[in-house]
Amino acid sequence: MKKIKSILIANRGEIAIRISETAKKMGIKVYGIKTLKEPSAYYLQFMDEIIDFTEIISDIPEFLDIDRLIYSIKEYNIDAVHPGYGYLAENPYFAQKCIDEKIIFIGPTPDAIYKLGNKTIAKQIASRNNVPLLEGSNGNIKNPKHAKQVAEKIGYPVILKAASGGGGRGMRIVESVDQIEKMFKMAQNESEKAFSDSSVFMEKYVKNPRHIEFQILADHYGNIIHLGERECSIQRKHQKLIEESPSSALNDDLREKMGNSAIQIAKASNYRNAGTVEFLLDEFGDYYFMEMNTRIQVEHPVTEMVTGLDLIEWQIKIAQGEKLTMTQQEIKFNGWAIECRINAEDVQSGFSPYLGTIEKIQVSKGKTCRFDTGVTDGSIVTPYFDSMLAKLICTGETREKAITNTLAALNKLYIKGIKTTIPFHKAVLNNPKFISGDISTSFIEKDMKKLYFQEDDEELIAAFWATINHNAELDKENETYVDYEKGKIITPWLLNKRLKSM
Amino acid sequence: MMFSKSKIKNQKFIACTSGKKKYEFINPKDLTIKSGKDKEPIEITSDKSGFVFITWKNKKYQVEIIDKNQNQYEIAVNGVTYSISVESPFSYKRKKYLDKNVPVSKIERIQAPMPGKIVEFLVEENQEIKAGDPLLILEAMKMQNEIISSITGKIKNINFGPEDNVMKDDILIEVEK
Repeated sequence: MKKIKSILIANRGEIAIRISETAKKMGIKVYGIKTLKEPSAYYLQFMDEIIDFTEIISDIPEFLDIDRLIYSIKEYNIDAVHPGYGYLAENPYFAQKCIDEKIIFIGPTPDAIYKLGNKTIAKQIASRNNVPLLEGSNGNIKNPKHAKQVAEKIGYPVILKAASGGGGRGMRIVESVDQIEKMFKMAQNESEKAFSDSSVFMEKYVKNPRHIEFQILADHYGNIIHLGERECSIQRKHQKLIEESPSSALNDDLREKMGNSAIQIAKASNYRNAGTVEFLLDEFGDYYFMEMNTRIQVEHPVTEMVTGLDLIEWQIKIAQGEKLTMTQQEIKFNGWAIECRINAEDVQSGFSPYLGTIEKIQVSKGKTCRFDTGVTDGSIVTPYFDSMLAKLICTGETREKAITNTLAALNKLYIKGIKTTIPFHKAVLNNPKFISGDISTSFIEKDMKKLYFQEDDEELIAAFWATINHNAELDKENETYVDYEKGKIITPWLLNKRLKSM
Repeated sequence: MMFSKSKIKNQKFIACTSGKKKYEFINPKDLTIKSGKDKEPIEITSDKSGFVFITWKNKKYQVEIIDKNQNQYEIAVNGVTYSISVESPFSYKRKKYLDKNVPVSKIERIQAPMPGKIVEFLVEENQEIKAGDPLLILEAMKMQNEIISSITGKIKNINFGPEDNVMKDDILIEVEK
């Protein structure tokens, strides 16, 4: 295998920047893609060369356009492609096409992507290797009647899932028999839309489980290690919002057991590169295999913070045929890390997407705080892309200290122009149940009275700020001079300037 | 940050929140807020990036005007927004009178909670519905969301069709109570 000298990053936003930073550190030239949807995006500033896709008229989104991407890689004579997460990261056809064209795909083999990406096959792999599973339909559900039969056998509540799914799309929890037909149709419909595959399967639904996942690294020589767990129980509609490593629910014994199960899955599927094995953990310490994600994940930084390893670097190293230089025993976990996803969402109106322009963003990074961002001052939040803007990752020697450091960083993180999930994160990190470590995937619905954090006097301050600005406005109206800018939106900044000059 | 002192003495304002709470301020430009019996000073600062902060009783708040329309303000404090209408004692009286005496509309408008695309309507015009019934499925950022009726009544109008794109706050369905 040859050493990688250049990489095309087939992605955007924070992950494009994240990959670029490590690649550059390794002396690799990075190419990025400029799209019409965000031609002045922040990530482009981090590329050595930019490939212009702005003039392409196509119904296929740029980062999914396999033929165009392959063509560009050949045209620029680029050695390798990193797909990031989402888009083509878990597309076996793309990975195969790269092999056919002698391009290094930084990720697992097409065969592993295919097998593990299909949840039905993935479950078969798990059951053959004695990894615990939840009872389920053992295959796809054919029709509403079939759904009813299987649900009766497993017992309610059950969950319907898209066979090619991920990220919570195409998932439906069914509590009782009267909802089953409607929910089955909805799951099928959503799955068809999201993945062009309407196959749906069913399994037993565990109430109040924790989401625990294990990071895996595997080289080409049969060496497989795990880098400990990440707890991603703070989710809304199956979308993760806060992740941490390690988990307060695991002791060394359970960690070893689950880690071995994760390695088992990777071994059985002949896995290479970085991957993540997801489990549900119930209140009794029993765990169940959910799925394996065959890509770098959004929440990989928490693992990096506690292990001191650069996962993107290892992805590249493995892709160019390097051996893992550390054994399982040599992996040491230091302290605690917490990641908060900063999304452009309005928590006060059901986390609905919030579009607009980021006027200003201010963060105080430090020793215990890392900020992986895809946006900067002036960035525009469009409806074309995911709402995640950035990730705040903070560490501490203990979980308690990590929480304190995260709150301190959130209190100094200001974003002007749009609404974000920052008030939500403050509410979680101030919640006594979260602080005690007693969390589950239903934490948001069950244990949060209010989804955003408010200081006692915030409303009073808001009322005062409105009043004083209104007062100033009225006073200005009483002045006799002609205001040529009247009618324009007046920002407090401008207002302030004017008042000074009065 | 300075606000010039008002020339008018004892100017009173009443700030009303969307939750029907009211706050009274007399001469806000004096930069004090009453806390119990005492007047506590307020400090307004701005940094080089243009963020504006209010410090009151040793706590610092980031404030921002998100939107304004005449006396209606949308204010963000530490990223949480508040709808405030600023009234004079006279306009406050009128507002209270109007709130009491204007008949309540019999039509409830179901608005889009977020921008998205309509997948399908689960109800028809003239259909009787109960509170909690699903009305339609709206797809936003690749997620399908069920929009549920908050009231019991009869469907009067359906303003869109399947596959239509809608903006936030578009009126999707009108329900007669």
